[in-house]
Amino acid sequence: MTYRIGSAQGFYGDDVTKALPMITGGHVDAVCFEALSELTLAILQKDRLANPARGYTFDLNIIARQILPEAYKRKIPLITNGGGLNPLAAAEMMRETAEKLGLYGIKIAAITGDDVLAQLSELQAAGEPFTNLDTGEAIAKTLNQQFMAANVYLGAAPIVQALHAGADIVITGRVADPCLYLAPLIAHYDWEWDNWNMLASGIVAGHLLECTGQVVGGNSLAALRSLNPRDLPHLGYPIAEVEADGSFVITKTPDTPGLVSVETVKEQLLYEVHDPANYLTPDVAADFTTLRLTQDGENRMRVSGIAGKPPPEKLKVNIARLEGYMRELIFTIGYPEAWLKVEWLKAMIAESWRDLPIGRISYSNLGMNSLYGSLATLPDDPLEVIVRVMFTAQDQDTLKTATRRAMANGLSCPPGMSVSGSTIGGDPRAIVGLWPALISRDKITPEIHFLEL
Amino acid sequence: MSRTLYDLAYGRAGDKGNIANISVIARTSEAYQDLKMRLTAERVKAHLGDLAPGRVLRYELDNIEALNFVLYDALDGGATRSLRIDALGKSLPGALLCMEWD
Repeated sequence: MTYRIGSAQGFYGDDVTKALPMITGGHVDAVCFEALSELTLAILQKDRLANPARGYTFDLNIIARQILPEAYKRKIPLITNGGGLNPLAAAEMMRETAEKLGLYGIKIAAITGDDVLAQLSELQAAGEPFTNLDTGEAIAKTLNQQFMAANVYLGAAPIVQALHAGADIVITGRVADPCLYLAPLIAHYDWEWDNWNMLASGIVAGHLLECTGQVVGGNSLAALRSLNPRDLPHLGYPIAEVEADGSFVITKTPDTPGLVSVETVKEQLLYEVHDPANYLTPDVAADFTTLRLTQDGENRMRVSGIAGKPPPEKLKVNIARLEGYMRELIFTIGYPEAWLKVEWLKAMIAESWRDLPIGRISYSNLGMNSLYGSLATLPDDPLEVIVRVMFTAQDQDTLKTATRRAMANGLSCPPGMSVSGSTIGGDPRAIVGLWPALISRDKITPEIHFLEL
Repeated sequence: MSRTLYDLAYGRAGDKGNIANISVIARTSEAYQDLKMRLTAERVKAHLGDLAPGRVLRYELDNIEALNFVLYDALDGGATRSLRIDALGKSLPGALLCMEWD
């Protein structure tokens, strides 16, 4: 029998209420919410430092109040990695909300074990060098030891275990995105952990689902002339109807706007993919180069023939470090002699900041070369140039001083120049450096905590 | 009017740290054979210039008639470090699809 998985979140801040029509319409057997981009955990760390009971995504409050009651009524499990850095606190909040709503009998599972921030030194001493996957550097050799977050990408296993134990909602921290979606399939079909083709099929389904709107017409160049732009905020989020043999149909929530076509599926299939024959996850390496796409009715694409291989020996860990701060200023310059005035602006700024410890400075001209750099041909004598200056420093005070000094030239500036008010009032933004590395599987033990009502 | 790659293909960009990928999905089988033969990693790197300062790898997907280009060091340090206005590189497909194609 077909098992149907809905996807109602692709990032922190997505419209999670798109789960409601899937659930109330009887279109799904489980719903997953994927909330964590590479940067999200570093953002949540700031919340947790301010309040130890925080550190999870606030979308979980909406899920608790609006979605959980409808899902629980119908025994549709919810799975989310929105627990972020604090799945236990998220589960506690969920239990309190469930109590207020009278959801007696509910079982909430929180999964921990991905957060290794507190154990970084210990793990290095135990032989984990955390060599940077991109640069080959060992982390101990770097000067910056201002670690903000360190999370291991877990696989589907602890979620499967929680679902088998009857969890109505499973809240995790970092789990490899598509594994969130693979888990309910394994729980339902009892696929063996070495049935690589089945696991890979679940991963591909998860990969197609995990960015919600992006497979139903959002961010789709191919759909640019096929959709009504007023439908974009209302796109029905995707559902995978998966068979026991691993093949599945990608579709969208019935009676909602959007488009699922061979084009939208191909676009999402290759999104954030490197080697398509080796899409690595903690549970399986999926091969996208053997699959077949076939139309299965309107807004329905069948995906079959997916192959899988054993997963990598080690798990991936992403370590986030605070690397300083950045600040933006935007200046407007008009005719005549706009390019000469741009040179004057740059010289003025360089002189104002001469003795300041500014790190990087980056200039671009919005609407001319800010996206495509040297690919752009600049006009000889433009009517207007919008100059964007981005600059960095180790500390926020330097950026404030630099901004004040640049502004102090307000009446001593190149002729006709102005500065965008919203950028003067802006705040410095933290620069978070990500350090991808590997860690041995035997160092990581996920734990499942149940809260019942 | 001269043809561009956009006449033959569409695509999407994705980011992982400081690595970007751009898919180039052919509109027809004929276009795919042409792209597979002539849209080499070297040609893509040369066209992108400053946007592709590092290695460029090409992967072929005959099953869906698409190429996948992986661009190392292409995101100014990655979305969380980048000083670019499009820190995630969402607009990168356009950088490739504007390539003139005869």
